[in-house]
Amino acid sequence: MKWVSKDIETYLSAKEYVDTAVIPLYSVSFGNEMKQSASSAEFITLLTNYLERQFTGRLMLVPPYTYLKSDQYEDIMNGLKKWEEKIEKNEFKHIFYITSEIEWKNVEDELKGSLIWLPSLPLEYLNESQKMSMIESQVKQLLTLFTQKWHENL
Amino acid sequence: MSKHRVSRRQFLSYTLTGVGGFMAAGMLMPMVRFAIDPVLKAEAGGDFIATPLKIKDITAEPQRVDFTFEQKDAWYTSEVTNTAWVYKDEQDNIVALSPVCKHLGCTVGWASSEDHPDQFFCPCHFGRYTKDGTNVKGTPPLAPLDVYPIQEKDGLLYLGKAEPRTKEA
Repeated sequence: MKWVSKDIETYLSAKEYVDTAVIPLYSVSFGNEMKQSASSAEFITLLTNYLERQFTGRLMLVPPYTYLKSDQYEDIMNGLKKWEEKIEKNEFKHIFYITSEIEWKNVEDELKGSLIWLPSLPLEYLNESQKMSMIESQVKQLLTLFTQKWHENL
Repeated sequence: MSKHRVSRRQFLSYTLTGVGGFMAAGMLMPMVRFAIDPVLKAEAGGDFIATPLKIKDITAEPQRVDFTFEQKDAWYTSEVTNTAWVYKDEQDNIVALSPVCKHLGCTVGWASSEDHPDQFFCPCHFGRYTKDGTNVKGTPPLAPLDVYPIQEKDGLLYLGKAEPRTKEA
């Protein structure tokens, strides 16, 4: 489900079925890295949207956690931990973070949720259908990851 | 010079008839157009969208078809890709089912569960549908899968807007 009023309404009436929250992690930087920053955010957006489409009924796509890349690591981490706490309290059993920032991989253990790191693919030179099939093949691999996680906690 | 000389009276009446005729035509033409408007309308092919699937390639085994169309969301136009599961039933009729689970909207897959190779399966809450789209009793979905109206044009499959079926399991 997306973060739009219509979906939230459905969510509120079917809470017990939606037990997974997906949080995209975006870093924002300016200057030389601006383009890289935008292109990875674009990639993660497309990917999480497609993922949401596959698992509409079981996961909630939360608005992305966005931070400045130049910020202190502790601040970024603490901010996200607060999110995690809030989301856990609200009956989401599984939390997934999706990012293309490699830095998160090193601090994965500090988070309770599962971190999924994907290298960002440059999509700017692809046409619509190539983009689609690329995202699709990436998401296909993620699907098994999600279903596995769900099976573990049955 | 022509032998037939045109008198002043004749000349005037010809001119008047001509000009009057023009004016009458100018007034009548739009009226006539309004009257027969539905006939003149270009055939818009309804809301049917072309898919890349050829009619002759459709088999008894459901196959996935993606088709893309433009969607307007407020002022934001985007390309949307929808999916359908298409197959031929025993009577050789083409059936196109929507992959959107009637429970909470996940995407169902054909034979994606090992335990039920001849059913549609929803990975979210293990909802199942038989091949004709009917929901299996005891699984979360409460209604059969939506059906796309189909059309054939130039050997290609065209799909309309998915409609819910009323038949309950």
